[in-house]
Amino acid sequence: MRKFSIHKENKELEPSEEQIRRHKDFSRLHHDYERLTKRGKKPIYQDPKLYMLLVLIGIILLIIFLED
Amino acid sequence: MTDSEIVALAKERQDYFGELYERYFDQIFRFVFKRLGGLENEAGDITQHTFIKAMANLNKYEDRGLPFSSWLYRIAQNEVNMYFRNSKGNYTVEIDERKFKDLCEEAEINYMSSEQQEQLVQLLNELEQEHLDLLELRFFQGMSFKEIADIYSITEPNAKMRVYRILEKLNKKWSDEK
Repeated sequence: MRKFSIHKENKELEPSEEQIRRHKDFSRLHHDYERLTKRGKKPIYQDPKLYMLLVLIGIILLIIFLED
Repeated sequence: MTDSEIVALAKERQDYFGELYERYFDQIFRFVFKRLGGLENEAGDITQHTFIKAMANLNKYEDRGLPFSSWLYRIAQNEVNMYFRNSKGNYTVEIDERKFKDLCEEAEINYMSSEQQEQLVQLLNELEQEHLDLLELRFFQGMSFKEIADIYSITEPNAKMRVYRILEKLNKKWSDEK
């Protein structure tokens, strides 16, 4: 929750050019964006659906093999 | 190149987003910095998040003739509000006394002693957060009604009306208090 209070020094609350420069970095932004949006694919063991499908295929192949 | 042209290019190739970043980083950083009462590092992080969100949602952006910056301001506004919500306890934003006096004038509240000022700030703090946002944009960020209207995607007279209704409400609360 935000609350206001008054300051009486009458100074303008403006960032300096140096402060702006310190945070202005498009390559960092691009890197952060890539990291957030293009994460690597999940390994198979972390994807329950794919994992179950592979287990099922394995069981079917095993049954076929045992019947032969 | 116009903003619309760059946006169209940036939708195809992300590299072009850098041009928008170059154009608008400073003003968005200033806006966030002032809203946070001068917290530099937090302002830097929030500004970066603003641009990441803009980049991620650029394909959803529709050019309706409003300045591209108003869309960025809207995202920044939401990011700052989220920051306030997530802050534990109350978050204090310092406001300039001169700007506070401008607000009082517009609300037709006469000049007052320091003690009364504190009482009025207390009443201000009791307003809904959305109302505070509007007053903050108008009086403490010094935005025009046109700029406010663009951020909220409303008309200029509508922005003006909303601000003056809130001032009327504040004035009424102040009169009741006295």
